[in-house]
Order: sequence, then structure tokens, then C-alpha cells
Amino acid sequence: MADNKQDHLLEHSYDGIQEYDNPLPTWWKWVFYATILVVPIYLWDPMGIGVGPGKVKAYEEQMAAFNAAHPKSAGTYTDDQLVAFAKDPAKVEAGKVVFTSYCAACHRPDGGGMIGPNLTDDFWIHGGKPTDIMKTVVDGVLAKGMPNWGKVLKPDQIEGAVAYVQTLHGTNPPNPKEPQGVQAGADSAAAPAAAATTPPAK
Amino acid sequence: MNARLDSFSYDDDIVRKFLWATMIWGLVGFLIGLIIAIQLPWPGFNLAPYLTFGRLRPLHTNAVIFAFAGNAFFTGAYYSTQRLLKARMWSDALSRFHFWGWQAIIVAAAVTLPLGLTQSKEYAELEWPIDIAIAVVWVAFAVNYFVTLTKRRERHIYVAIWFYIASIITVALLHIFNNLSVPAGAFKSYSLYAGVQDAFMQWWYGHNAVAFFLTTPFLGLMYYFMPKAADRPVFSYRLSILHFWSLVFLYIWAGPHHLHYTALPDWASTLGMLFSVMLWMPSWGGMVNGLLTLRGAWHKVTEDPILKFFVVAVTAYGMSTFEGPMLSIKSVNALAHYTDWIIAHVHTGALGWNGFLTFGMIYWLAPRLFQTELYSKNLVNLHFWLATFGILLYVVAIYSAGATQGLMWRAFDETGRLQYPDFVETVIRLIPMYWVRVVGGTLYITGATIGCYNLFKTWAKRPATYEVPVVQAAPLSAKDTDEHAPAVAGGLLARFTHMGWHRKWEGMPLFFSVMTAVAVIIASLFEIIPTFLIKSNVPTIASVKPYTPLELAGRNIYQREGCFNCHSQMIRPLTYETERYGDYSKPGESVYEHPFLWGSRRIGPDLAREGGKFPDLWHVRHMYNPREVTQKSIMPAYPHLQSNTIDFGSIQKLVDAMAMIGVPYGDAVNKAPAMAKAQAEQLAAAIEAAGGPKGLADKEIVALTAYLQRPGRDLKNAGTQ
Repeated sequence: MADNKQDHLLEHSYDGIQEYDNPLPTWWKWVFYATILVVPIYLWDPMGIGVGPGKVKAYEEQMAAFNAAHPKSAGTYTDDQLVAFAKDPAKVEAGKVVFTSYCAACHRPDGGGMIGPNLTDDFWIHGGKPTDIMKTVVDGVLAKGMPNWGKVLKPDQIEGAVAYVQTLHGTNPPNPKEPQGVQAGADSAAAPAAAATTPPAK
Repeated sequence: MNARLDSFSYDDDIVRKFLWATMIWGLVGFLIGLIIAIQLPWPGFNLAPYLTFGRLRPLHTNAVIFAFAGNAFFTGAYYSTQRLLKARMWSDALSRFHFWGWQAIIVAAAVTLPLGLTQSKEYAELEWPIDIAIAVVWVAFAVNYFVTLTKRRERHIYVAIWFYIASIITVALLHIFNNLSVPAGAFKSYSLYAGVQDAFMQWWYGHNAVAFFLTTPFLGLMYYFMPKAADRPVFSYRLSILHFWSLVFLYIWAGPHHLHYTALPDWASTLGMLFSVMLWMPSWGGMVNGLLTLRGAWHKVTEDPILKFFVVAVTAYGMSTFEGPMLSIKSVNALAHYTDWIIAHVHTGALGWNGFLTFGMIYWLAPRLFQTELYSKNLVNLHFWLATFGILLYVVAIYSAGATQGLMWRAFDETGRLQYPDFVETVIRLIPMYWVRVVGGTLYITGATIGCYNLFKTWAKRPATYEVPVVQAAPLSAKDTDEHAPAVAGGLLARFTHMGWHRKWEGMPLFFSVMTAVAVIIASLFEIIPTFLIKSNVPTIASVKPYTPLELAGRNIYQREGCFNCHSQMIRPLTYETERYGDYSKPGESVYEHPFLWGSRRIGPDLAREGGKFPDLWHVRHMYNPREVTQKSIMPAYPHLQSNTIDFGSIQKLVDAMAMIGVPYGDAVNKAPAMAKAQAEQLAAAIEAAGGPKGLADKEIVALTAYLQRPGRDLKNAGTQ
């Protein structure tokens, strides 16, 4: 295709470069107008497709709807339940994977303790009942260096980890950390009756 | 007609200088890009404290933008401007000052950024002494340029010159106003602005650096080199006019689209989005004019690798300037922001548009500048195909990485819990794509290396002395006697639509420059003034207090190590963000943030609520070796923080500088070192008591830990009061 009829060459020339006096492409012009038209439509906000109530208000609405759709579960764990998990080989096996990835860095892969306390002996800082362990994992004890895993790990991962920790008891790994806390059983009267704790699920 | 002709010659020596600088710095910039691309999937490749991702990433962006693209712009501008104006550059000395000054600045950047000397504002990382040097060199360039304009022998200025003018003026404005800061030492300064305002200024700058450093200069180059190479007239003069002015005016407003859903006020965000959408066609005007200029020359494209480079360049420009407006739409941005999607977007622009236009231009210039045939056309073809496949691999991998991570962040399971609550899961999913990027980048660099070799061989064939052709042209007559002005029938409107007025402006380059400056400044002020003056933009929060001296020192380490390159500190009001990180970030939280450290990419998790999330010892161990506490982490290790000592004496200067810009430091103004020491000793004792290493009281890790335990604390305190 050589010069078509609409190409009218302007006579000026810059270092040999010339320019046509072609009109703006029609589609270009109309799309440009359309993008300008977006401005009033967006601000007018018909059917909520535009500017909306602002990001904070919109967030509060979304959060309210989200919370309504996902009520905080009232489910709880009992010690018996958690003990049963520790007897379920599949649960324990899954828990071992979680323990190795997330807990071993401080408690050692064999649970013998390093930065975190020994998990294999009879002594517990924050209670040794399965529900106590669950609470410590979920809420953490920031002041003592235990992160809260409730937001990072899923409920079944936490159930597994708690199950696995129970199986570590009495395994007597080499070079364990010295006992910390109180001996299990000795403090049963003083320990809070944590028969149930809030599970990680909402 | 004036019978007397001036005889003169063009300064091509300066063009040859800039051409070599372009290619050499280009290779350097690409190579650093490759190194940091390898560091992501393979953290062990962070070989030394000076060579970690956080310090090299700014060096990569600065090298590619200011060294590669900058020198490419100067190469083409010095070559084309002289010919379009029929005038030698006014001062050879200023041209050389510009060249050597610019290269010295690049060397200074290459030294200071790995040393960790940084303002930590993206693409404005260089510290204040270098900023001043940039301003001086840029002004020298501008003076030389504008005086040359007045000495021209061509009455009217061609569209390429319009784009150069807009670039020179606007870059000066952006650079100066974004970098205003108070020095706190020879290579340390704090931004004059804080928090929301600093973020606004930074993205006014950052976005328009893309506009006026990577877009308008290269449109100017396109308007000269593409019709030259294709030997075809430009498609439409009228389109040039309309798209030039609309681009210059609209671009400036678009910056806030980098801050959607942040603590920036909604109105600014909305303006940024709407102007970005309107910018689509003005941007595409350049693409249309470029591609349609090739009408009747498409058969040449199949034979001429230079035109192939240009066609891919303009196509990449079209793709990224469509994608830009799309990404500016708030709901699209919510998905893409903080992800690799943005990285892919800028690489479509940088590798495709800037890179390919530069390569095409250089191959066109080489035989003319070295006055010999190009060494090998086959190698040019090879370069073209390697680089094209390199870009494709790069962007396909990184677009999918971005979409993947964005979707994983927002995924909820049926119980209303995050599907991937552990952040690191969303990172390791990307590792295969990161390796594909490494392959794509390697192809691109191989192409550029072949290009350098080809240029070198061409240069080796040059004549013993370059011929300097003498050009003759009539001097400018005193009056604008434009015999070619199109005759216009009818009234004002007809005249306006036929652009006769614009033809007049083209004959008055200084007036033209003033009008460009006015367009840019007015558009800027519409956003800047309300951002600074409207009090309700940043409601104050009583519990937000300045950093303690030790935390401030720790924040410096955070800046020095470039943590903000991978960690944001800005939680957006979106359900999946607050579920993951905690309450969304408020404007009032950032009032003492000089500079703001909101970040733009999350390779690691957001840290705005980091304070108190993990124990102190966790941070100590994590910084020493991240994989000790997070097995799959890709973060570099920072063992040197446990051996580097804190310079307590220098903390006073930091506090004083902060106090000078209005941070209420009270007592700390007199006894910052003592306060820092006391806090450090307390923290070190706590770390030791928890079973951590001994003797950290004067080590940098303590300062950094103190800082990392701060973000979000003030807001929590407000909740308990």
C-alpha cells in the first residue's frame, strides 16, 4: 500500500523527515472521549460501580459481611479428644511434619529443647495437659519467646502438632535441656482448670 | 531568502561517547539484574553484606534507568537535536561536563548503594551529595540545550524536540522536589516530608520518572530514528500535537495509583486512577504514529533488523501503556499491587520499549558514527531473536508469578480462614517461575553482549580519522516567515483545529518550553497543595510517638540493608490483609516516618504490625540465618549484624536531624547516645536471659531488633488506654 488519498504531505522537513497531515484515527478519538467519560460516570457511581463509599467504609462493610458468613466457631477441645488424636497414627505423622518445619527450630527436632524448653520430660512451664499445650501453641507466650501459631497454622496442623508433642513425652533424647517449670501432677491443684480452650478456628 | 550561509559541523564525538556509555552501563545494569534474579530462588547467592538483594536491587534499577536509558537518551538527543536544529551544541565544554559528570554520578551510585548509603525512596535512593551533583549536571545539560535552541537555524522545532524539552524540564522539577531532605551526616539524610506526604511526593516523582525519563525521551527518539530508518514520513502531525500535550498534562496526575488502598486519602487515589485511564489514548498516540509511519515500509521490516527492533519496541510500549491504565483501576490494583505483576509490567517497558528502541537506534547510528559498514548484520538478527525470546520468557514467568501470589494471598477456605496463612508458602510456589526468569534474562544479556561485540568490531574498522562534514545552512531570519503555514479558511475554531497556533508555538521554542512547564506544574499543584494543606488527610493519633534513639538507629540499619525492597509496612483495608497481618494502617501512624517505608513489593510479609509479634530472640536468630527459624525462607542472612558495633556517638546527629524537621524529640535532643545505650543493654540482657547469644549490647542486631519490635505498637497502646 503506497500513499493513499488521505495522505497529504506537509511541506516542512526536518533533517529530511516529513510529516503527513492525516486526521486523528477515528477509533483513537472515540476511545479517548470514552476514557474521559469514565470520570463523571465513576464519580456518579451508578449501581455502585464507581467511586463507592471510600476504602475504609467499604472495608467495614466487607468485614461485617465476612464475619456474618463465618461466625466464630464455639467448638472446643477436651483433653480426651486431644489424647485420642495422639493415638491416631495419621494425626501424629502429620503433626511430626508440622513440628519439624515450625517447632524444631527452638525445641530441637527430637523435642529435647534448645531455646525453647524440653518437651520430653515431666516439667512444663505453661501446663502439660493437652489443652494447656494447645493453648500455648495457639496463643503463644510472647513474653517467654513462644510465638502464637494460631494465625499461621491451620486447625488440623495444630491438632497434629499437639498430638505429636504428646508422643514425645518420655522419649529421653540425648543431651536434653535442663527441666524448667513445674513437674506434671505436682501442681494439679494449683493449675487452672483449663478443661477447654478456644480452638484456633474462628 | 537570505543568501548568506553559515558553515558549521556537528559534534558527533559526544554522541560516540554517550553511545559507548549506554552499551557498557547497559551490560552492567542487566548483569546486576541477573544476579538479583538468581538471589531470589537461591538465597545462598547473597554472597557478602555488600552484595545482598536489598542493596543490589536499587543498584539494578538505578543502573538501568539512569545509566542505560539515560545515556541512551543523551546519545540520541545529542545526535538528533543538532541535525533537527541545524546547529552544533552551543558549548562543547558543557556537553563534555554533562558526559563526564553523568558517568561520575553513576560510578558514585555504584559505590554508595552497595555500601548501604540510601535515602530508601525508590529510584531516588542516592544520598544528598550525589543528588546535588545530579541537579548541577542536569542544569548544565539544560543550559546547553536551551541556548542551542536559541542558536538554531531551523525556524520550527520538530516533535522529537518537544519531547526532549518536556523531559529536561520535568525531570529537573521532579528530582529537586522529591529529594528535599535534611542531612544527618555526609551520606545520610532524612526526607523533609513524612508519611502520607512523603509517599505522595515519592510516587509523584516515581511515576513521572517513568513518564519523563523512560517514556517522553524515548518517544522523542522514536520520532527521529524510526522515520529515518524506515525512510517514511510520520503518519500524522496533528496526532503528534494532541498526544504530546495530553500526555504531558495528564501523566503528572497519575502518581497516586501507586498508593491505592494505602493510607493516602481516597480523593488522591481516585484522581490518580481516573487520570491514568484517560492517559491510555494519549500514550497510544505515540504507538499509532510509530506503527502507522511504517505503512508502505512493512516489506523493509522483514529485511532490516533495525526496524524489527523498533517494531517490537513500539509494540511493547503499546502493551505496557495499556496495562498501566488497567493496573491503575483500584480493584485490579488490589490484586496486582505488592506482587511480581508490577515487576513484569515494568520489564515489558524497560526490556521491550527502552531496550529495543535503544538497540535499534544504536545499530542505526553505529555505521554513521564510526563511518564504516556495520560489522555483521547476522549478529544483529541474532541479538534481536535472543532478546525477543528472553523478554517473552521473562514476562510470561513473572506475570504468572504475580497472579499466582496475588491470588494465594486473598484465598480463603470454606471456614473463613486464609488458605495459605504461612506467607512463605506463597513465596516458594514462585521459585520455578523465578528460574524461568533467570533463563529469560540470560538470553537477553547474551543478546546485548553480542551487540557490544558487534559494535566493538565495527568500531575497530573505523577510519584513521573521522571525517567531519561541513554543513551549510542559512541563519534564522529575525521574523517567523512561515511560507508553509497551511492556509486556513474560517474563524478561530477552524484555525484551532488546524493547529496553526501550534505551528506558531513551534517557532518559539522558549515560549513552548514555558508552556510545557506550566502544564506540568499546574497539574502537579492540583494534587500537591491539597495533600499538604488539608488537615483531615492525616488524622492524628495521640499514642503515636517518635522512635527512641536506639530504634531510630535500628531503622537506619533497616534502610541500609534495603529491607523495604522486600517488606512493605502498609496493610491495606482488605479482608484478606487484615486477617493475615492485623488492623489496616492509618495515616496518623506515619507522621514521624521520614522517609516513609511503606514499600511497594512483598517478597517477604508486611511488617506494619511486626512489633511484639515475635520474641526478641526470634529476631536475633532470624537475622543471623532466616532458615534457622523459617525453613523455606528465601531471605538473605545478615550474620554481620551480630558483629558490627553500633556507633552510639552518631545517634545524636540522627536525632538532631529528625528534631530539626519537627519530630518532637524532647529530652533525647541532649542525651540520645545515653538513652540508646540504656535501651540496648536492657534488650541485650533480655535476649541473653532467653537463651540467646551473650554480649550483644553494642551490636547492630540489638538496634534492629528494637526497631522491628516497634511497628504497630503505638496503635496497640492506643487500644489499651
